[in-house]
Amino acid sequence: STSSVLSTTKDGSTASTESTTKVASEDGAVETPKQKLLKMIGNMKVEVTTKRKFQQLKEQEIKKQDTNKQEGWDRESSTFQNTAEDIQRSEPLNPELVRAASAVASSFPHRREQAESELLAQLRRHEETTDKQRRGGIINIRNVISEMAVKKQSPAQRSMRVSNLMSLEMDEDGRRIKPGKPSSHSFDSGRSLKAGRRLNIFTKASPETENAMRTESLPTIWDLEFAKEIATVTEQPPRNGFEEMIQWTEEGILWEFPIDNEAGMDDGAEFHEHIFLEKHLKDFPKQGPIRHFMELVICGLSKNPYLSVKQKIEHIEWFRNYFEEKKEFLQE
Amino acid sequence: MAASALLWALRAARQVLPSQTRSYYVDWRMLRDVKRRKLAYEYADERLRINAIRKNTILPKELQEVADKEIAALPRDSCPVRIHNRCVLTSRPRGVKRRWRLSRIVFRHFADHGQMSGIQRAMW
Repeated sequence: STSSVLSTTKDGSTASTESTTKVASEDGAVETPKQKLLKMIGNMKVEVTTKRKFQQLKEQEIKKQDTNKQEGWDRESSTFQNTAEDIQRSEPLNPELVRAASAVASSFPHRREQAESELLAQLRRHEETTDKQRRGGIINIRNVISEMAVKKQSPAQRSMRVSNLMSLEMDEDGRRIKPGKPSSHSFDSGRSLKAGRRLNIFTKASPETENAMRTESLPTIWDLEFAKEIATVTEQPPRNGFEEMIQWTEEGILWEFPIDNEAGMDDGAEFHEHIFLEKHLKDFPKQGPIRHFMELVICGLSKNPYLSVKQKIEHIEWFRNYFEEKKEFLQE
Repeated sequence: MAASALLWALRAARQVLPSQTRSYYVDWRMLRDVKRRKLAYEYADERLRINAIRKNTILPKELQEVADKEIAALPRDSCPVRIHNRCVLTSRPRGVKRRWRLSRIVFRHFADHGQMSGIQRAMW
């Protein structure tokens, strides 16, 4: 199948299909023998932007066919210059990668040397970009900002965007459901904090301090006392009646409205656990007055809505222990 | 050191609250009533179960006699019958309205000062 694919590419189909088929054939051919090396290359490829990838693929095409059939690519001359610079770079590539490129190229039946040279060129370009990122530690903000352009947006569009962000879902009580994070602040003037290129201005907090915090032992009594003191000193009296009610609700003095009849009572047990209590009567004798008595007890418990399942089981267990102790009296 | 001393001073200053705070029970009879209530709460389940055995026509009488003895052996203050609803503020044993837990004199005092919600002098 690979040979047929390559033969079609020889006929000079459009640029995009050739590039995609070439990429597909590369990935498909080398999977079995040299998986690790190919995966490395594949991972490296992911970081490259689409614009650059197109540039590279275009360059390869130019080398292969020696024709200028592309449409609207004004950067041809510039890419030629870039390739010349890349080839003249003094820093050598990782030998592993070189071996991997040669291995990939060797799997091609035709154009072995060409494929190898193109792959190496691509690797070199990738190395150059990563080097640039590494060297650019302290970035001049002026250069960065001068490149940025303010995107204009009509006020209608802006209001629509804001309203879309603040979802207009209403709870049953008329309280609005807000989406998880208030990310509306980050969307001022059509920009977002998360999208876009990273400026690498801020350094991440070192992971050592985080680990040190985590490995600390449980807070001592003195820490707890100190925290309590701080809390009691810093708490302000409520400014108005609403804050007072909030405080009381948090303490538990004021109930939560709308009033939940089962507040503090729901133990999460199903109705069948409350009603069908016969399974707890396994250890009792099956005949006799005690059984009769316990069945009445269970009948009463099943109608009791005020006890939790645990309490009911405890009730039955108490009776079991009691009758165990009084066995001598029972044997007449 | 200075910080902790400052905090302590702040807390002491903040503890001057306008409402009445009582740190003692009004008298010893009230304290005994409080003890009885606590014990009654503790032994409530046991008493219920032993009484269920006693007030029974199904179980044999020997068992019921044993249960009688058991319940008699429990502390005397654990039975709820000994609890007496006294006035919460003055510990008065008589003339206590159950809804407000106050004796009639205290109730009248507060009602006349308008401090009982929804209470008005009767006139018809």
